[in-house]
Amino acid sequence: MIPFRLQVAGVVVLLALLLWVLWLVRTGRVSLRESLSWVLSTVAAIVFTIHPELLAALAHALQIEVASNALFALAILYVLWNLMTLTIATSVNARKIRRLTQECAMLRAELEEQRAARSQSQPSPTGESS
Amino acid sequence: MRVLVIVPAYNEERNLPGVLRALHEHAPFADVCVVDDGSSDATAEVAASHGATVLQAPINLGIGGAMQTGYLWAQRRGYDAAVQIDGDGQHDPRFIPAALAPLRDGVADVVIGSRFLGEDAGGFRSTAARRAGIRYLCWLLRLTNGVRVTDPTSGFRATGRAAIALYAKSYPSDYPEPEAIAVAQRSGLRVVEVPVRMAAREHGESSIGTLGALYYFVKVSLSILLLPGAP
Ligand SMILES: Nc1nc2c(ncn2[C@@H]2O[C@H](COP(=O)(O)OP(=O)(O)OP(=O)(O)O)[C@@H](O)[C@H]2O)c(=O)[nH]1
Repeated sequence: MIPFRLQVAGVVVLLALLLWVLWLVRTGRVSLRESLSWVLSTVAAIVFTIHPELLAALAHALQIEVASNALFALAILYVLWNLMTLTIATSVNARKIRRLTQECAMLRAELEEQRAARSQSQPSPTGESS
Repeated sequence: MRVLVIVPAYNEERNLPGVLRALHEHAPFADVCVVDDGSSDATAEVAASHGATVLQAPINLGIGGAMQTGYLWAQRRGYDAAVQIDGDGQHDPRFIPAALAPLRDGVADVVIGSRFLGEDAGGFRSTAARRAGIRYLCWLLRLTNGVRVTDPTSGFRATGRAAIALYAKSYPSDYPEPEAIAVAQRSGLRVVEVPVRMAAREHGESSIGTLGALYYFVKVSLSILLLPGAP
């Protein structure tokens, strides 16, 4: 159903993507957690490329007339899924950053308080240098 | 009753001195903290020179995140009550004792200063378009939460210990005022209103333009409709 060379090209590209993601995890630039959705969805894409009859079955089940349209649908799902994962991750990050920023503000105020208290108990600046 | 006044201030160096002086005069019993998150003017210096505690954040949190910083501080320092007052001079600190009274009497957890209550009609009541928006929000809050308020966007509020703890944990972001009422109500807190007078802002621009109004409308409606039930 899929021409052989196209199939090979698809698998090669997907494998390259998979290896790239794994390499990014290995070198610590992407956390395993964040990479999981890419890894899983890419593996699924590879399975579909190697076994296009799965795609045909899926297309049949969903009453999609042309199997390649099922492929497009899946490709869009793949992208949407990974985008959504990213959106969730950014929201979580935003919340954490907000909390950290608030903590910074409070620590800064406490520090100022301590400083003020200390400079009151040691009024002469020469007392500090001796 | 130990009271903390929380003043959110973003580039308010011109309005802040008047607000802090008025606070000193009309609410001398309260501690004052000014939340300044990334102002580009001398807001923090002005606040410190008037004897306020400055909660200075390195990046802008928006009004919601800024208010929550104040609530976190109030909780950490064990205050019995917190009062929110805008840093732009719209709210008159004269009304703080009246706003604290329902908390002191134990009849409310959140007190909202409403400019639409009381016979003493006058002062600043905003434009017709905004008043229509406010009526819509009242209706929405009553429909979804059964809470009756007249001034859901008012940023003049007093909160007791239970509400301080709640808001320290979860305070809405962006345009938080109406949603904060719903949050309190859903958590079983009692919300009441007291009449206050408000003034138009002295210097500078309000943050909401025409496009902002549309975003405000959608954001606040959705956030109230999507709010999860009581925990
Ligand atoms: N800390 C902090 N304060 C803010 C921020 N945005 C607004 N504020 C303060 O919140 C108060 C009210 O903000 P405004 O933008 O004036 O509100 P408004 O648009 O006039 O709305 P109304 O008060 O309902 O008329 C002012 O004291 C502002 O300085 C922010 O991002 N951080």
